[in-house]
Amino acid sequence: MAIHRKKHQALSIIVFILILSITLLGCTSQSTGDASNSDENKNKLTVAWPRDIGEMNPHVYNPSQLFAQSMIYEPLVSYEEGGELKPHLAESWVISDDGKEYVFTLRQDVEFSDGTQFNAEIVKKNFDAILKNVDIHGWLGFIPMIDQTEVVDEFTFKLTLTEPYYPTIQELAVVRPVRFLGEAGFPEDEDTSKGVAESVGTGPWVLDDYKADEFATFKRNENYWGEIPSVEEIKVKVIPDAETRVLAFEKGDVDLVYGEGVISFDSFIQLESTGSYETSISEPVATRQLVMNTNVEQLSDSRVREALHYGINKEALVEGVTSGLEEKADYILSPNLPYTSNVDVTTVDYNIEKAKQLLDEAGWELPEGKNIREKDGEPLEFDLMFNSAESIQKTMAEALQSEWAELGVKLNIDGVELATQVERFGENEFDMNFYSNYGAPYDPHTFVNIVATEGFGFNEAISAYPNKDEILQQIEAVKQTTDENERQELYTSILGSLQEQGAIVPISYISNVAIYQKNVSNFTFSANRDAHPFEGIAIEE
Amino acid sequence: MGNYIVKRMMTIIPIFLFATLLTFGMIHLSPVDPAEAYLTAAHIQPTDEILAQKRQEFGLDQPLLVQYVNSVIQISKLDFGVSYVTNKPVWEEVSSRIPATIQLTVGSLIIAILVSVPIGFLAGLKKNSGIDHFSRFLSFFGASIPSFWFGYLLIFFFSVRLDLFPVEGIGTWKHLVLPSLTLALPLIALYTRLLRASVLENLQEPYVLYARARGLHEKVIMGKYLLRVAISPMITGLGMNLGILMTGAIIVEAVFSWPGFGRYFIEAIFNRDVPVIQCYVLLSAGLFLISNLVVDLIQMYIDPRISRKGRQLR
Repeated sequence: MAIHRKKHQALSIIVFILILSITLLGCTSQSTGDASNSDENKNKLTVAWPRDIGEMNPHVYNPSQLFAQSMIYEPLVSYEEGGELKPHLAESWVISDDGKEYVFTLRQDVEFSDGTQFNAEIVKKNFDAILKNVDIHGWLGFIPMIDQTEVVDEFTFKLTLTEPYYPTIQELAVVRPVRFLGEAGFPEDEDTSKGVAESVGTGPWVLDDYKADEFATFKRNENYWGEIPSVEEIKVKVIPDAETRVLAFEKGDVDLVYGEGVISFDSFIQLESTGSYETSISEPVATRQLVMNTNVEQLSDSRVREALHYGINKEALVEGVTSGLEEKADYILSPNLPYTSNVDVTTVDYNIEKAKQLLDEAGWELPEGKNIREKDGEPLEFDLMFNSAESIQKTMAEALQSEWAELGVKLNIDGVELATQVERFGENEFDMNFYSNYGAPYDPHTFVNIVATEGFGFNEAISAYPNKDEILQQIEAVKQTTDENERQELYTSILGSLQEQGAIVPISYISNVAIYQKNVSNFTFSANRDAHPFEGIAIEE
Repeated sequence: MGNYIVKRMMTIIPIFLFATLLTFGMIHLSPVDPAEAYLTAAHIQPTDEILAQKRQEFGLDQPLLVQYVNSVIQISKLDFGVSYVTNKPVWEEVSSRIPATIQLTVGSLIIAILVSVPIGFLAGLKKNSGIDHFSRFLSFFGASIPSFWFGYLLIFFFSVRLDLFPVEGIGTWKHLVLPSLTLALPLIALYTRLLRASVLENLQEPYVLYARARGLHEKVIMGKYLLRVAISPMITGLGMNLGILMTGAIIVEAVFSWPGFGRYFIEAIFNRDVPVIQCYVLLSAGLFLISNLVVDLIQMYIDPRISRKGRQLR
């Protein structure tokens, strides 16, 4: 009986192990089919992206992904390296002396991907569709100022504004909403804000296959007026998790991973160190800034702000928190943006002695036996708000907390959701906050605009600046001036003054990163922060 | 028995209504104004006029009671409104993603049962044997390792190193194996322990002794009597642990890029897409209620004393 039972037991264990191994391991013999997938289509690039590409409509926002929209739809003007604005679908343009009329001469050799002609008619039709929903697009400065759109002749289009606004040309380079949908794409009521019939554009790529939350395939547009891409197909795989993106890349299922924060700095460094892949880091696309609210009594004293700035070891921050992948920032806007290269400010380097001295001067003394400075019995204490979902902000906040503790300053860090962060910033309910500017092609004009507009946070935060009114007037003037030199002078003065008085502290420049397989060549980042980087990209066989 | 079912069904309705009230309250008590959330999601700068207009459009200017009654009527027609982000009906979007999640949860339930029933049963029968130690290790491992980490480990070994399974995506049965296994692990841990304890307990019961005394074959006693009784707490567990599956699916779907309901819900939270969040919460509540009912019915079928007890108590 006992022997019988033992036999029985052994049998059950064997059966169990069999079931387990079949479930766990699956059928190995069939897995070879998977590997050959990548060989089938050699001239195909697979990219991983965290989110679904959304609706391919040039005139809508979230959740549509900017890079994908820019693959299909093109602007009149393109934003190039160093902020240069180059003709794209518009061959040239003339701006009237009063800065209100813009006449565009369009390229004549452009066709939409369905073969229809690109001309002034369709340009006007797109502008009119955008103007139907001014309240959605009003964030882009020139749109609410549009007075008239006219077809002058087949290839000449005229735009009239109600007042002069110099950034108009620059804003035309933005990925959305001013890009052009072909006739066949318009819905019956012509209101594109509700959806498009078909995603017909003039761009180098055409959406071929799409499955929500899974993938999107773009084929190259064989009718493209510019240089036809050498890659036949780009497949965008939706992989929301950063670590999974890295694993899929390591396995070779993905050829390219790029973007801001799409891969952790640790993974980037680790993959780079293997030497098996190519990596690339873009020019600065934005600046990580620390905003101090001068409405807070302690921070209304410029010496305190300056002292805190001296107390930030930016080099240690970029090295420690971003593994050196972000660059230490000396200016609140990176100097590769237009009109930002000759801002004249004293750059502040880490100097703890100077910081202590400034705090002493401001009357914040360190009492015997205590480690927090006091003035009239009040401790020197601040709250720093950060987006809890952003690990970099969190780590930087923690680092600042310990750095400033050395100065005798107590920093409480307060992680909140992004929506709350934006809300509290706008309502001026904060001591300190992290911010980053829009980058190319929006800045510098969008940044100064936000500073000038009430309800975004900056306007209120700089209230203790003695020359606040003057700065706001200069911002008003810079948008209207048609004189290039005057514009440059105004920007130099505005940005210099904003930074010199210490309410906005530059910390580091944010960059785009890319990592790709060795057979991918010619990868370059687009100068436009939001545009796709696939121009000229090739795959070697 | 029919009576019992009807009675159980009747209790579901007030509980579900209470759930709608809670969700409604949660959304209206939260500091986020739905109209403002809508405008933020649509990239519209919220001015006072647009806010007022949207509030009127969403019926947010009505008294709370009217709003609540209206929302219950709508929900009963499976109308959860329109997503703030995509502008499409929430139910349409949700129902297109549910099949993927069901596929995943059913897959993991099957794995959980296939693995935990034999291990738990044998571990109970052979206390302190090798399989018992293994079951203890499995429970400890499964209960303590975070799902996302286990998921990465599986991807790393089985996809990247051994190239047996795809890293992510959906489509073939091979895509299903790793995510299901990840989702099943905490259940395996739980059920193995549960079944082992139950078997140990039942071995002491007089019916086992009686069966042995009758000279029944050990195989028959174990398979026909003991397993059937011992498995009962596990079935209760199945219903209760639907929560583990639902919340686990959110993480597993993100790790394996599984295009299901959980991932959609996560995006909705980030975008403060209130109608989607509401739909998720209510569907989860409904699912819990129904699964508990089903579990009770199965229990009753296995052990008819339950419904009889109910009758006696009355």
